Amino acid sequence: MATKLVTIAFDVMGSDHGPAEVVRGAAQLSLESPHIHVLLVGDRALIDDALAETRHNGERISVQHASEFVAMDEKPAEALARKHDASVSVAARLVAEGEADALVSAGNTGAGVLSCARHFQLLPGVRRAALAAVYPTRARHGDKADPFSLILDVGATVEATAEDLVTFAVMGAAYARIISRNENPKVALLSNGTESTKGPRHVVEAHSRLAALSGLQFIGNVEGVDIPKGTADVVVTDGFVGNVCLKMLEGVHETVVELAQYAYKESLRWRAGLAMLSGGIQRIKDITDWEQYGGAPVLGFDRIFIKAHGRSKAQAIANAGKVAAKAVAHELGTAIQQGLAR
Amino acid sequence: MSLPDRIDPRPPRRIYRWDLDKTYLQTEFDSLRDLLRTAFQKAHEKQAVPGASALIRELAENGDSRLCIVSGSPKQMRSVLEEKLKLDGVVWDEFVLKDNVGNLMRGRFRALRGQVGYKLPAILESRANAPVEAEEVLFGDDAEADAFIYSLFADMVAGRVDERVLTQILEAAAVYPDEAERVLAAWKKIPVSDPVRRIFIHLDRLTPPAHFANYGPRVVPIFNYFQAALVLLADGHLTAPQVIKIAVEMVQTAGHNIITLSNSFQDLLRRGLPLQQAAAALVQALEGPNALMQALRPMPDIISAFTKRLAALGTPPPPPPVQAVDYLELIHHALPRTHKARKTQ
Repeated sequence: MATKLVTIAFDVMGSDHGPAEVVRGAAQLSLESPHIHVLLVGDRALIDDALAETRHNGERISVQHASEFVAMDEKPAEALARKHDASVSVAARLVAEGEADALVSAGNTGAGVLSCARHFQLLPGVRRAALAAVYPTRARHGDKADPFSLILDVGATVEATAEDLVTFAVMGAAYARIISRNENPKVALLSNGTESTKGPRHVVEAHSRLAALSGLQFIGNVEGVDIPKGTADVVVTDGFVGNVCLKMLEGVHETVVELAQYAYKESLRWRAGLAMLSGGIQRIKDITDWEQYGGAPVLGFDRIFIKAHGRSKAQAIANAGKVAAKAVAHELGTAIQQGLAR
Repeated sequence: MSLPDRIDPRPPRRIYRWDLDKTYLQTEFDSLRDLLRTAFQKAHEKQAVPGASALIRELAENGDSRLCIVSGSPKQMRSVLEEKLKLDGVVWDEFVLKDNVGNLMRGRFRALRGQVGYKLPAILESRANAPVEAEEVLFGDDAEADAFIYSLFADMVAGRVDERVLTQILEAAAVYPDEAERVLAAWKKIPVSDPVRRIFIHLDRLTPPAHFANYGPRVVPIFNYFQAALVLLADGHLTAPQVIKIAVEMVQTAGHNIITLSNSFQDLLRRGLPLQQAAAALVQALEGPNALMQALRPMPDIISAFTKRLAALGTPPPPPPVQAVDYLELIHHALPRTHKARKTQ
């Protein structure tokens, strides 16, 4: 069967490393994946300068000039109101108009979500979109043995209702089925205890609804400690708790790295010990390297939006493009709708 | 009244010079295994680069051009290469191959990989027999030294390179003394004129286009022959229906589609090539009643794709400035790809 041609729109502007890194990632994609076409949205002159210096396949790349962009430190709503030609907004519009099939942005998250909300439609049965994040875990998940689980929501919907949590569970499971080739993902609710009665009212209600839902392997509640263990493939929570969790997990990771660096500098004996562990440390580093994961999906819209990390380098951008293309090719939106219809 | 006993062909108005491997043929010779496979391939097993044969046939349509092929393939492959060209309907006027066995027998190992000492005298000697007013368009690739050799040839014929600099270039390119003598002898026979209009470099290795920026706008790196056809349309060598014929062949035989063609078009616009009028001519030809155009249906989608790619850029950038080429600065481009000095660049 021929692979379906997919066009991915990249918001080139506004990431921490500037447009060149996003262009390099997209250029890499044009060389590696013949079925993926790339639409680069941003300042044409900057894009062309970067492209001219980078190995790429010009047959698979086109450019849409956008004269403005939203910076990381800008307030999304205000910036988008002021900047009508902002790259992320132009890219979302082009996806909505069918010029591309999905959007990837490493820029301002709020501006990305807001642009999608303005140009895309929510899927029938979805009240709020959810920002999902992948987090490295001890356990492997799905046919691809992905070393990460999905947490959602991590910030798009601060206060979620029980109905929202059920929707998030269905969307997360559909994503895990498609991206991790995990046919029957384990879905759990994040709470302060594993018992079904633990947690605030909306979590308890969501638990009973999910337990009654067919076509979903709901394993009940998990606690924070279960996230890095990988007890569940999909962890469902609201945006407030999810964001706090994610930031804490990132903080722990950074602290561990800093401690290792401190130990390396502090004592020759510790340095020797670290050197002996270097193989294992490298494996942990590979597993926890978010650049491998490509980015986090925003689920619930009729179009695909993959939010790449602001610090994404070319490899992470290319991976985000691949994830987006896979979600399009396997019709993630349809899979979510089918899950919600059950 | 008596008929003349012979009819001389019209002198060529245009000369198209082609390399073969990686320019016309999709050849792999990066490893010994590739080399052996290439050597034993039969004519029908050899693959032409999509659009190349269609482009050559369309360029020959006007009847006032010559096709000169200078290839680094060994002379022993002549019959199979000629058979391949005939299978593709390509008619040539000159076909020069490299005497690799001769070089090997004489212990001239540098000549086996070297391109400057082989191609430069060959194309200069060919030019020495051409009418002074004949324009030239050259086709090469990014695998070896085509951009360097073709540009040097153009500037030598135009009198923009002096003998002292040329001698330094030949020395730095490790050219054998007899080859250098051939270069000088042929060059002296050529009247000064400025015939080279374009040098197309097929990006077989997908070398970044900026790599060729130092050669100026005369050198146009291309991802495919639809791009060459578009530039040749703008330069007046092809008509819009001819360009569409080339596109049709690429769509029908090589999996190209509206997206790849319109992206290729926009890529050239972004590099400052003035193709707006060529685009208008294409749109006009596509809207015409010609039966051939039916192969590219749906027409509105094609026109819309091209128009969108044009509009997406806002104001297209200006063309790159014409500049003098500093060949001594670029001498590493003249060395074989495996050469230490080139690898470090």
